[in-house]
Amino acid sequence: MSSFKFAVINPLLHNELRLKIMVALDSLESANFMYLCEITDATRGNLSVQITTLKDAGYLEVSKSGSGPTARSVCRITRKGHEALLAYEQGLRRLFTERVPEVETKKDCI
Amino acid sequence: MQRNTMRELDIINEIRGKVVSRREHTGTKLFLVFGYITLFMFMAEFLALELWNTNLCTWLWLCILIVGMPLMGYHVRKDFNRTGRRTPDEYLALQLWLFVGGASAMCGLTTGFAGVYEQCYCLIQGLLLGMGCFLTGAISSFRTMVVCGIIGALLSFACLFFQGVLWPWQLLIMALVTIITLVIPGHACRRYINKEKI
Repeated sequence: MSSFKFAVINPLLHNELRLKIMVALDSLESANFMYLCEITDATRGNLSVQITTLKDAGYLEVSKSGSGPTARSVCRITRKGHEALLAYEQGLRRLFTERVPEVETKKDCI
Repeated sequence: MQRNTMRELDIINEIRGKVVSRREHTGTKLFLVFGYITLFMFMAEFLALELWNTNLCTWLWLCILIVGMPLMGYHVRKDFNRTGRRTPDEYLALQLWLFVGGASAMCGLTTGFAGVYEQCYCLIQGLLLGMGCFLTGAISSFRTMVVCGIIGALLSFACLFFQGVLWPWQLLIMALVTIITLVIPGHACRRYINKEKI
């Protein structure tokens, strides 16, 4: 266990919905709120809260067009967000690949 | 911990797969809208020059911008509202065609005011259309567009053979270049999308 580097796991991205939002936006130039709702299978309220959290962290840019009930929110990932996601994914992969030999070694011992 | 790591990686792969599988091709309408407007304008310019022989007809190209730009804005917004997202490829292609449109307008104004419209406008316009079509094909990995772009750019050099009193024939070559670089790729792309839907 001591070989794990927990520091590489970004707690902000270690949440299912926030991770889904970030990955979807990382593959696109921009997406609106309804598209994110569909792709993440999240409720509007929950999605709105998580988008605000990511926006406050500087990972997303949200622009609103129009006003009233027809207003549309368009989300974009920022460079900081892209780098954070990349580091998070690399960290996960490193954890995963570092752990496998340990398990195999134990199996061999048995 | 390892199981959790696996789950997070699964989420990443699942969402990436979902985004790719929901990709819808947009922008073909723009090719057709601009293609037919440009084709109509070049034909109208040629006919007007043949019938009335006045240089004022050469400013007809401005109609491409006046009619095309609002239509382009409308279609881009409509596509975004329908699909809810814009891919990096689409964004890049849009910026490219905005550059081609801007460069064409600058070229038309400069050659018009400098009095060299007859000599080089059609050649530069043809090269710009060919370049736009070629690069869009390269970005979207659509071979028909790449081939059409190269043919269109090469064909525009034929304008150099029609100088002096023969210059209105350059407009007919440009009409052909428009068909090759905008109309044919637009229809080919539409056919490809319809096939994919089936």
